[in-house]
Amino acid sequence: MIEIIATAESLEQAEALIDAGADRLYVGGHPFGLRLPKPLSLESIGRISDLVHRRGKKITVACNALMHNEQISALAPYLSQLGKFGVDTVSIGDPGAIFVLRELGLPLNFIYDAGTLVTSAEQVAFWISQGASGAVAARELTLKELIEMQQKLDQPIEVQVYGPTCIHQSGRPLLKNYFKYTGGVEKNDQTLYLRDPKNPDSQYPIFEDTDGTHIFSTDDLSLMGQLKLMRENGLNTWKLDGVLLHGERFVQIVSLFAEARRALESGAFVPESFCNRLVKLQPAHRPLGTGFYLKNPEDVH
Amino acid sequence: MKKIEKKPEVLAPAGNLEKLKMAIRYGADAVYIGGQAFGLRSRAGNFSYEEMSEGVAFAHEHGAKVFVAANMVTHEGDGNGADEFFKTLQSIGVDAVIISDPALIVVCFNAAPGLPIHLSTQASATNYKTLEFWKSIGLERVVLAREVGIEEIREMRRHTDIEIEAFIHGAMCIAYSGRCTLSNHMVNRDANRGGCAQSCRWKYDLFDMDNGEPNSHLRDDEPFSMSAVDLSMLHHLPDMIDAGVNSLKIEGRMKSIHYVSTVSNVYRNAVDAYCSDPVHFVFDPAWDDEIWKVAQRDLSTGFYYGVPTEKEQLFGKARKIPKYTFAAQVLDYDPDTKIATLEQRNNFGVGEEVEFYGPGFAHFKQTVRDLWNEDGEPIDRAPNPMMTVTMTVDAPVEPYFLMRKKSDA
Ligand code: SF4
Repeated sequence: MIEIIATAESLEQAEALIDAGADRLYVGGHPFGLRLPKPLSLESIGRISDLVHRRGKKITVACNALMHNEQISALAPYLSQLGKFGVDTVSIGDPGAIFVLRELGLPLNFIYDAGTLVTSAEQVAFWISQGASGAVAARELTLKELIEMQQKLDQPIEVQVYGPTCIHQSGRPLLKNYFKYTGGVEKNDQTLYLRDPKNPDSQYPIFEDTDGTHIFSTDDLSLMGQLKLMRENGLNTWKLDGVLLHGERFVQIVSLFAEARRALESGAFVPESFCNRLVKLQPAHRPLGTGFYLKNPEDVH
Repeated sequence: MKKIEKKPEVLAPAGNLEKLKMAIRYGADAVYIGGQAFGLRSRAGNFSYEEMSEGVAFAHEHGAKVFVAANMVTHEGDGNGADEFFKTLQSIGVDAVIISDPALIVVCFNAAPGLPIHLSTQASATNYKTLEFWKSIGLERVVLAREVGIEEIREMRRHTDIEIEAFIHGAMCIAYSGRCTLSNHMVNRDANRGGCAQSCRWKYDLFDMDNGEPNSHLRDDEPFSMSAVDLSMLHHLPDMIDAGVNSLKIEGRMKSIHYVSTVSNVYRNAVDAYCSDPVHFVFDPAWDDEIWKVAQRDLSTGFYYGVPTEKEQLFGKARKIPKYTFAAQVLDYDPDTKIATLEQRNNFGVGEEVEFYGPGFAHFKQTVRDLWNEDGEPIDRAPNPMMTVTMTVDAPVEPYFLMRKKSDA
């Protein structure tokens, strides 16, 4: 019943993630997929798709960029190729991509994934009326709101249970512009962070790619402690995002969530022990947090 | 001979009824306002239904339109009452609503069938298929994302006939609209529900991390900032119009009467000049002078001619831009005595240089030579807010002409 979705950055990692217990892998490439651990070529996506299907699992391909004309005009052949690979689902964040999919008449499943913009059951219902098979909830929602949403819907709402969340996307090269202004050496290798001087503990990852500049939350989300509550309330689609965490470490974390699922299903889930184990796996410079999930809806306005 | 087939509309912001009327008097073909709910500008003066009715009546008398922004991204429960809201707007005679949330779009379709819907820029529409999508849903117009270039608009026009609205002037969000939750994360204020705290304009430390340890602050002396300079397409209106933009949008529901009247006046005049004779159109430098009198930051062309560089961001010290203050509004004028009656809006007095401007791009400068209070007694200065004074003016003025002066440094 519970589905674990994990981002994958390579064929090798894909294999390891399936071994670790992932039910569905999430991959993609430029210029259609947003904020991936590693943008992959169509060819690699095809190979991962084959592997995933051989192992009886599923694959979602990210087509969730905000697309400009140039991207949207190149999308149809890309989608057709994904259709040939037999990928199970694509994620879409730009209604233009839905339009293209419709024009193609491809029997390709899609979920609506527009980051910050999916915040109510009625919105999800709209995207379902447009053909979506589900939607990815905004990270700025509280669990209370998510539960309310899921109760109104038959289709699954995907909830991010682990990883950093994007809190800002600019179309501008904000880092390059800054380095040009200061005359500093350009850097952009996922090791840069912003700190809000008013909040000395904060460290927001920032990087730039062809979609612009992305800033991420200061904590990595973890809902390890809330998995029981989620399961009891039908929030059964769990996404683990490894956009900033590469290789084996991410696989171990996915494995821990899979173990947590088994424990939940057999009634042996002890959240404290799993949370402690997660802390040990977690990179020291990325504190874990619950983001907006445990806040009161009234506290954010 | 080149002719403009469809003259685009000049669309101005109106934070309250007074600004609405001023924007229309100064040439706006349409204004956009906020209601008491479902909007994004919680701090901009929002209209009650009564004010809306008065605004719509005024606009329609003057051949102008009123759009109401309901561009909030709703959470569970936020949509309560939206059906009544849209019904009421329709019965008031509002010309269109501006929405980004599909849940609200559906409510609006059902509650107020026939009320035109424009897609808000909050939905960041950046390609022609997205425009076609919204057209297929039944929307009448799409407000483009600010990240779109002129060439892209031309291409959109070749692919779709849905109305296109694009920003031509004002402050800019540095993110793709709707895709920034800095304020949510930093101060628990939801940017997509009107709570944006402009966190992008704060100063940040940018640092490098090696093996999990903070390493270098890349430049201690120059904090990282994401602040954008403002947009102005004044010098490129022919491009915007030729590209097929139907509505030229000015940002700023929080801006003053001085700002809204000046910017509307300039764009009205420039759009008319181009559309009446595109072949012989020449840019009038007076437009530029005017625009700079109300500019709050440096101006740029945003994304229209390429991705903005560091020059289109605010780093270091902001350039000093001469500031003008709204000093008075003309209530009446007697052509025989050349005496105007004014309502004071900011302290001014005899000896100061002031400038009058009015609808139709009327302008003149003069020195204040005399001043009388309401009892006809001569005075040196007009110090009290909203006091009525009279003075001799050098050229004819009319009610709703405005008077500005250079601010003290
Ligand atoms: S913080 Fe800045 S970039 Fe973000 S929504 Fe507000 S104005 Fe836009």
